[in-house]
Amino acid sequence: MNSDGLRLTGVALRLGAFALADVSLAADRGEVLVLLGPNGAGKSVLLETVAGFHRPLRGRVEIGGRDVTRLVPEARRVAYVLQNFALFPHLSVAQNVAFGAMHGTGNRASRHGARARRVASLIERFGLGAHADRRPAALSGGEKQRVALARALATDPELFLFDEPFSALDALTRDALRDELASFLREAKLPALYVTHDHAEAQALADRIAIVDGGRIVQLGAAAKVFAAPRNARAARLLGVENVLDGIVRAHAAGSVVEIGAPPALFVPLDTGRAPIGSKVAVSLRASDLALGPPGIAAMAGEVAFDATVRHVAQQGPLTRLRCDAGVAIVAWATTAQLRALAIAPETRIGMRCPQDAFHLLEG
Amino acid sequence: MRRSALFLLFWLAGSLALAFTVIPLVELVAEPGVAGVVRAAQLPDVRSAIGLSLGAAAVTAAIATAIGVPLAWVLAGRRFPGKGLVEAVIDLPLTVPHTVAGIALLLAFGREGVLGAPAAQWFGLRFWGTFAGIVVAMLFVSLPYLVNAARIGFEEGVDPHLVKVARTLGARPGRVFVRIALPLAWRGIMAGITLTFARAISEFAAVAMLAYYPMTAPIRIYEMFLRFGLGDAVGAAVLFLIIVLVLFVVLRHFAFGRAGQRGFGR
Repeated sequence: MNSDGLRLTGVALRLGAFALADVSLAADRGEVLVLLGPNGAGKSVLLETVAGFHRPLRGRVEIGGRDVTRLVPEARRVAYVLQNFALFPHLSVAQNVAFGAMHGTGNRASRHGARARRVASLIERFGLGAHADRRPAALSGGEKQRVALARALATDPELFLFDEPFSALDALTRDALRDELASFLREAKLPALYVTHDHAEAQALADRIAIVDGGRIVQLGAAAKVFAAPRNARAARLLGVENVLDGIVRAHAAGSVVEIGAPPALFVPLDTGRAPIGSKVAVSLRASDLALGPPGIAAMAGEVAFDATVRHVAQQGPLTRLRCDAGVAIVAWATTAQLRALAIAPETRIGMRCPQDAFHLLEG
Repeated sequence: MRRSALFLLFWLAGSLALAFTVIPLVELVAEPGVAGVVRAAQLPDVRSAIGLSLGAAAVTAAIATAIGVPLAWVLAGRRFPGKGLVEAVIDLPLTVPHTVAGIALLLAFGREGVLGAPAAQWFGLRFWGTFAGIVVAMLFVSLPYLVNAARIGFEEGVDPHLVKVARTLGARPGRVFVRIALPLAWRGIMAGITLTFARAISEFAAVAMLAYYPMTAPIRIYEMFLRFGLGDAVGAAVLFLIIVLVLFVVLRHFAFGRAGQRGFGR
């Protein structure tokens, strides 16, 4: 990896009853690494450790090629963006941005001049000129985000840290700001560590994902790979996989298959690795991989098809969530057009099909 | 119907509490009339005692702010071994009878006291029967009000996220305290200063034990009561009350402003 980025090596930490255990990860320049995990998993503690608020028992934190493990937060050159952007409420927009530009080298006069120029240029770059004298309480969500980013950039940071900045915002604002942030991060070309428990947010922003649970990194990899192949059932749930199905490994002429659900069971051809015949396994299946059709729908080459009885129908935003019984509980999504075409209602029968490789074997 | 009964009950309880406070003060103010107050104001002893009380309480509030606000910030933002003990010690003067506090202060700050002797030897500072003694006694009984109110101000006014962001923006802890914490907690600190000033200026027993002379207003009023009876003491008491109340209202305005106007709704 590039030495300009972030590198954590074997970082261990204890905070009361909570512990981070030998965390190692890296984020290159221009890369967004999302830490995804449930509440209390240790994501924020890990972020605070990178920022310098906790001193690790063991391990090393490097930012931009510097060993910062023993440095205080103010010497680390990290841009820290927190929930609801944590703008200083008693300072104007310009003063908020200037706060980040205060700590430079040179004599007082030259520092003051350079700071004023830097603040002015950042305010202009983020389109905040009309709001420079306003207090944060008078700003919209988008304006707050731009002030937070401008303030953070004023320190000339080497790393961005985001701790659930959108968690207090309404869904509409959140979606808009997420897009704005994604394009900002693409342009900034700095490494970024982004904490969230929201898989949709992770999917929208991440180049790579680290799943954090119980103070450990349980899976780390390219976002697409992690989303496609969660390591275990807990990771699958965190990544928003709707179906985690129990099955049994059965012998088959062409290799192994996994038998899922009560008879008539689903038989899914799957490479079960070293799992012995007859052993219990868990399999993930994303509802978005399921195509819906009439009962008795035919499987095409490389597909699995089966019928199911709809048990529960719930509108969720533009789609409808179907809870079905196919000998095992299966969740699927339907469009309004599909609801009409297939006359889907509770207790109706429908057909489903999906590619065989949509099923993914999970570790026990 | 039940709601009306509850409202009536609360209204009655509140009225009783207010009446309990207001009636004696109204009685007091009504007693001497304007002439009595003016007569008291013309007495040099009374004027100097009130001036002394105001000056000592102001110095007390200033010292309490200087030493209490940093402590309040530490208590609001840090966890450390023995924190509970520190908090108990801060609150101790609230539970100690003030005559007992006076004796303790006399022992510590008297001529032979563990603090009084070295202060006299090294700085020429004496506490027994001096302005410094009055301030020490006032400070002892009023410091908890400053620390507790400022602490609440920091806890409620300063989001820990802001402190963390300020640190990562390059500000050292001292700068974070001055630029972020103090401005955001100033209402709590002003409330603490108000309460400290009020508590200090009204102190009698601890001041009387350590520094009966020079006489503060409460001691002068007590002395007048003993020597000349209620009639002369009431005029001085009302004059003192009016001055303290005006100051209290002004300070309270700065401390609380329009805060506390939020309600539960219906």
